[in-house]
Amino acid sequence: MHPILGRVERLAAYLAAWLIVCVLLAAVFTRLGLSWLEALALLLPLLLVYAFACLSAWYVSRATPLRTSSLFRVLASSGLAASIASGLWLGLARAWVAVLSTTDTFAPAADRYGQQMPPVFAIGVLLFLLALAVHYVLIAFETTRQAERRQLELEILTRDAELRALRAQIDPHFLYNSLNSISALTASDSSGARRMCLLLGEFLRNTLDVSARQRIPLADELALAERFLSIEQVRFGSRLRIERRVDAASSACLVPPLLLQPLVENAVTHGIAQRLEGGVIRLDVSRTNGHLAIVLENPRDGDAAVPRPGGLGLENVRRRLIAMFGREASLETHAAADRFRVELHLPCSTGE
Amino acid sequence: MPPLKVAIVDDEELARALVREYLAAVADVEIVAECSNGFEAVKVVSDLRPDLLILDVQMPKLDGFEVLELVGRDVAVVFVTAHDQYALRAFEVHAVDYLLKPFSADRLAAAIERARERLGRGERLPVQDLAAAARPAQGHTRRILVRDGPRVHVLPVEKIDSVQAQDDYICFRCEGKEYLKEQTLAQLETSLDPAKFVRIHRSFVINLDRLARVELDDRDNRIAILTDGRRLPVSRAGYTRLSGLLDK
Repeated sequence: MHPILGRVERLAAYLAAWLIVCVLLAAVFTRLGLSWLEALALLLPLLLVYAFACLSAWYVSRATPLRTSSLFRVLASSGLAASIASGLWLGLARAWVAVLSTTDTFAPAADRYGQQMPPVFAIGVLLFLLALAVHYVLIAFETTRQAERRQLELEILTRDAELRALRAQIDPHFLYNSLNSISALTASDSSGARRMCLLLGEFLRNTLDVSARQRIPLADELALAERFLSIEQVRFGSRLRIERRVDAASSACLVPPLLLQPLVENAVTHGIAQRLEGGVIRLDVSRTNGHLAIVLENPRDGDAAVPRPGGLGLENVRRRLIAMFGREASLETHAAADRFRVELHLPCSTGE
Repeated sequence: MPPLKVAIVDDEELARALVREYLAAVADVEIVAECSNGFEAVKVVSDLRPDLLILDVQMPKLDGFEVLELVGRDVAVVFVTAHDQYALRAFEVHAVDYLLKPFSADRLAAAIERARERLGRGERLPVQDLAAAARPAQGHTRRILVRDGPRVHVLPVEKIDSVQAQDDYICFRCEGKEYLKEQTLAQLETSLDPAKFVRIHRSFVINLDRLARVELDDRDNRIAILTDGRRLPVSRAGYTRLSGLLDK
C-alpha cells in the first residue's frame, strides 16, 4: 500500500508540508515582482496538483530500491522521473497562466508570469526529488517496522513451541515408577492401588487441561502440585514430608500453567530421592497487595553423585515468568550445602 | 542343587515388595536380604555372600553402578531401572540383562534363569567398563569409592594425593592413609580430570595440587617431590605430560 495515500494522517501532514512550500515560494515570487495575490493564484492550484503528482515518486522508489540498485541507476531514474514530472508540470503552469491571463484581475501580470517559467521548472525538479527522498525514508521506516514485527512474531512462535514441548514433558521416570508402585500395590493393598490409579489419572488429566490455557489461577497450579506430591508420597513413604503455608488470598492470582510443577518435581527428584532419610519440602505462598511470593525449599544431599542431566530446567520457568510479567517478575535460587531454595516473585493479577 | 541366594536392593519399599512377591513364585530362590541403599548392599555382599543382586540403578548416596563397581566381582547382578538413557545405553553396549519398571513376574523369572546359567558358566560382568559407560560423557569422577570388606570408603578426588599401580590393584594415598582398589591405572585415568591429575610414570598418577617441584637425582633421573615430601619417579613421557600442564 502507498505509504502516504494509505493513511489519512500522513496525507494531511504531506499536504500541510506542501502548503508551507507554497507560502515560501509565494514569498520568493513577491520579491520577483509579483503581488501576494498574483503569486498565490499562480502557485496554490499548481502546487496542489503537483503534490498529488509527486505521490507517483513511490513507484520510482519501489522500482529502484536503495538497497539493491546501483547509485547510477538511482540517480538516473530519479533525475529522469523528476524532469518528466517537472516538464509536464511546466506545461500545466503555462496553460494555467494562459487561463489566468484571460481574466481581468490577472491579465496585467501575464508578462511577469511568463518570466517565472524557467525557475518553475527548476523548482518542480527539486520538489519531485524532495518527495522522492521522503518516500525512500518512509519505505525504509516501514521495512524496519515489518522486520521488527516479524521478529516479534517469531519470538512468540518459539515460545509457543517451547511451551508445547514442555507440556509433552511429563517425566517418564515419574510415570514408570508410579506404574511400578501400582503394580506392587495390586497384590498387597488393592484399594491403595486403585487410589494411586485415580491420583495418576487426575494428575495426567489436570496437566493436559491446564497446559491448554494461557494462564491459570494459582489455586489450580497448587492443586496439580498436591496431586503430584500425593503420588510421590506413595512411592517414598515417610521419606517425603511436606510443610505448606499457603496464603488463601493468593489463590486467585493468575500464573502461567505448569509454573510450579517443574520446581516441585526437582525438589523430589534432586532433593528427597537423593537422601537416604528423605526430608521435608517446604512450600510458602504469600500475597502482599499486588505482589505474589512463592518459596519452595528442599533438603539435598551435600555429596550426591554427579547429578544426572535431564528434568525440567529452571531457566525455562524463568523465561516463561519473564515472558508473562516482564521485569516485574523474578526467579532466584539459593543453594546451600544441604538445602536448595527457589524464590519466585511476581505481580498478582486476578484478571478482573 | 542349593537355592539361588538373592538380595533385593532398592530404596523404595514398594518396589522391593513387588520383587519379593514375584520371587515367591520362582523355584529354588532364597531371599537372603533386602537393602534400601547401596552401602547396605555392599555390607550384605560381604556378610551373606548372595549369588545375585536385583539392583535398582537410581538410589541415593551410591547408585546401582557404584554398587556394581564395588561388589561386581563377587556377585551376579540383574539391573532394574525405570528410565535412564545412560544406563540403558550401557546395558545394550555390554549385553547386560536388565528389567524396566514396571515389569512382569515372567520377565523377572526369565532374568533369574539367565543369571543362573551365567553363574553356572562362571561369567562375570565387565564391571569397570559397564560403570564407565553408564556415566554421562562429560563428567569426571568427583569421588572414588573403595571397598574394605563390608565397609565403603568415599574419597573425594581433591583429597587424593597420588595413586600407585600395584599388580592388579591401584593404591590411593589420601590424607595420610592408603586404600587398595581392584582397578587398573589406565581405567582410573580416563575417569579423572586431566587438568588436575597427571600420569607422571607407568605406575604413578599424582594430584597436580600436591606437586612441590621436580628435581634431577645424581643419575639424571627426574624426581617429583610432593608437598608431603614424598619422592616419586618421573618418566620421560610423564615429564612431557607434566610440562605440558604446567606451561598452561
